[in-house]
Amino acid sequence: MITQEKIDFYINKIPPAPIILRETIILLNAGDLNKAAKVAQKDPALNAYLKNLVNKPIFGFKSEVHEMSQIFGILGISGSQQAVYNYMITLLSPAKWHLFKLKASTFYELQAKLSKRWIDILKHLNINDKDTQSAITLLPASIIVSEALFCDAKEDVNLLRSVHSLDFNTILMRLCHVDLFDICQLIASKWEMPEKISLILQASSGIKPQQDEQINTLGKWMHLLLFYELSQPLFIEAGLNDFIDFQIEYVSDIYEDFAQLMDIA
Amino acid sequence: MRAVIRNGIGIFTPQGFLDGNQGTSFLSVEDIELTAKLNVDMILVSLKKVVFFNRNGLDPFVKMFLKVRLAHHTIVGFCDYDSKKFDAICKFYKNNLTFSLFNTEETATLFALSYKNKNKNILLFNDDKSQRAAMAIELHDNGHNPIIAQTKEEFLAKSANKDAYDVIIQDTYLGHMGHKIASRVTGNAIIYTVSSFLDAEIGNSFNITYHNNSLNVGFRLFIFDAYKVVSMNVHALNFFSKLSSSAAEYNATICFVGMTFEKTPQTFKETLEDAGIMFYEQMDDILLNKELLAELGASSAATVKNKRVINKGTVTELPNFIDATVATIEMMTNSKAIKESVQITSIQVANKTDKIASSIGFYGDMDGMIILVFPKEIAKKSCELLIGDTTDDTELILDTLAELVNIVGGKIKTLLSDHNIHVDITLPRTYPDIESLLEITQDRKGVQVDLSFDNDKFLFFLTR
Repeated sequence: MITQEKIDFYINKIPPAPIILRETIILLNAGDLNKAAKVAQKDPALNAYLKNLVNKPIFGFKSEVHEMSQIFGILGISGSQQAVYNYMITLLSPAKWHLFKLKASTFYELQAKLSKRWIDILKHLNINDKDTQSAITLLPASIIVSEALFCDAKEDVNLLRSVHSLDFNTILMRLCHVDLFDICQLIASKWEMPEKISLILQASSGIKPQQDEQINTLGKWMHLLLFYELSQPLFIEAGLNDFIDFQIEYVSDIYEDFAQLMDIA
Repeated sequence: MRAVIRNGIGIFTPQGFLDGNQGTSFLSVEDIELTAKLNVDMILVSLKKVVFFNRNGLDPFVKMFLKVRLAHHTIVGFCDYDSKKFDAICKFYKNNLTFSLFNTEETATLFALSYKNKNKNILLFNDDKSQRAAMAIELHDNGHNPIIAQTKEEFLAKSANKDAYDVIIQDTYLGHMGHKIASRVTGNAIIYTVSSFLDAEIGNSFNITYHNNSLNVGFRLFIFDAYKVVSMNVHALNFFSKLSSSAAEYNATICFVGMTFEKTPQTFKETLEDAGIMFYEQMDDILLNKELLAELGASSAATVKNKRVINKGTVTELPNFIDATVATIEMMTNSKAIKESVQITSIQVANKTDKIASSIGFYGDMDGMIILVFPKEIAKKSCELLIGDTTDDTELILDTLAELVNIVGGKIKTLLSDHNIHVDITLPRTYPDIESLLEITQDRKGVQVDLSFDNDKFLFFLTR
């Protein structure tokens, strides 16, 4: 069904990050928002994506934001980096989804919700670090990787899952001894994303706790946030609720805090 | 969402939060109906992976439960939760708890008619006296040994000695139970469970197509678990007499176990005995007596009255059958299959050692049986994906192989339906060695396809 060769082929065909995006990220790292906005302006697709993202209701801006400089100004350095990485991840997404009942707009919606709520979580945890803020962008890449690897075996996977409770991550691990999060880490490395992003992502799998206590805590929050979003009807109907296994015990010590922050009663 | 079927229980496992109207997004009535049609005893929603729920989140499930229970007489409810969640559900539905609650999946299996491991020592407690009694009766009827704690203190004291019990049940509630005619396979016998009053309704509730196809794929012993039967009327008498006559054409045996004739005329028993039905007091009188089992046909297939041959229609669809099988084994082993030869023959197994087999029947627009003969190593490799580890436990391999063959059956069903051919599949059957397989197939002709997976020989046989 899925072999190491198939995974290697998938990774190899991922192109390097586009030059404009790399330049934008470098300028953001240097703290030059104006120049970063000017460079980003050259990529029409990035422009359209960022406009669509920041004008979503979850970001709560009263009037529509149009200009790239305005967008970067509102989001700040951390928010702009997060938004650019979100766009980079969409470059991996398929033109048409087969495994999941998704379309581009639904996927963007998930990215937006995760990103905004992740910012709220980091504020709550008093963490102000742009790489940590960008870590959330890599999480939806696991959905894209599942789609890419499993879409040709949809019927087989359905039959397999009718006799055994197996999520995509477990199936992949048992077949190839590598999981979705490892593949996302390879993508992050290919795109020269900061290492911290990959470490937080690995912790967010819920099955690979990290040595660093803070990264581990962030992984728990991210794991729970993912399932908070995947419990929404839009994403359940897309078939995302059980694409990986929810590790309920892993998040037990942060649940009360999370529930309070998300106003869950 | 799809259910995972295990031990006759269909379990849906939503993950995350159930706090609004997502219930219908997780699960539709169609999903449940589809599961109910697979002859399950129970349909449950597991709360194991639910971190938060409120009444709004559970209500859509409860509404669906009610519909399905009324339509299919299936036990419905929730399982896999802790005491806090149990208390919350009881509080939400205080006066209207029509569904069941099982603290674990294991507890649920003890109440499922299809569960084959009996004789468990079970400590149970519930605050409600009538619930304690109801659970004890059900468990006893299902062949277990329930020990009731009358007070919470007694329960805590007894449960401290964990080794004394196989299972400890608490935070469990029995809603309306199903009482449908369930079927399960024990060894090579099929056991049907009947209960209460047997009347003309038996003709509707008994799945005669399933029974006939079980005969066709080689099952020769059918046991009616009748411990819970109160009485039988003349319509049911006629039904069972006819059933026995048709079974005799296959040299198959029908037995009744645990049936009392306190409220049924003794002459009925004589009539049924004349029709060839045998009566036993205890299930173990049959299942633990290997000689009797062999005599009754559970370990050997007597000659089929009308031997059927493979026909053109089945051969035409052969590529579909092979594709489904090969694709499944390839998926499970991550290795490529090479087709070596195809011939019409009675089954020919060159080297009979270290091989196990499995079969599954299909019926509907066309009918037949697929037999797969695996070298133990391929079987082990195929099962690794499902088990998640390597194992040498033959029983576990055979059980997992049955699941694998179920996947093959499901795939065949899908492929045939693409050609507008609609079939249903029987329960899979496994054979620990080739001798027991050959007893079933005898010299029945079929299409044999020899395949190799990484140089391991694998055999596919299609017959009718």
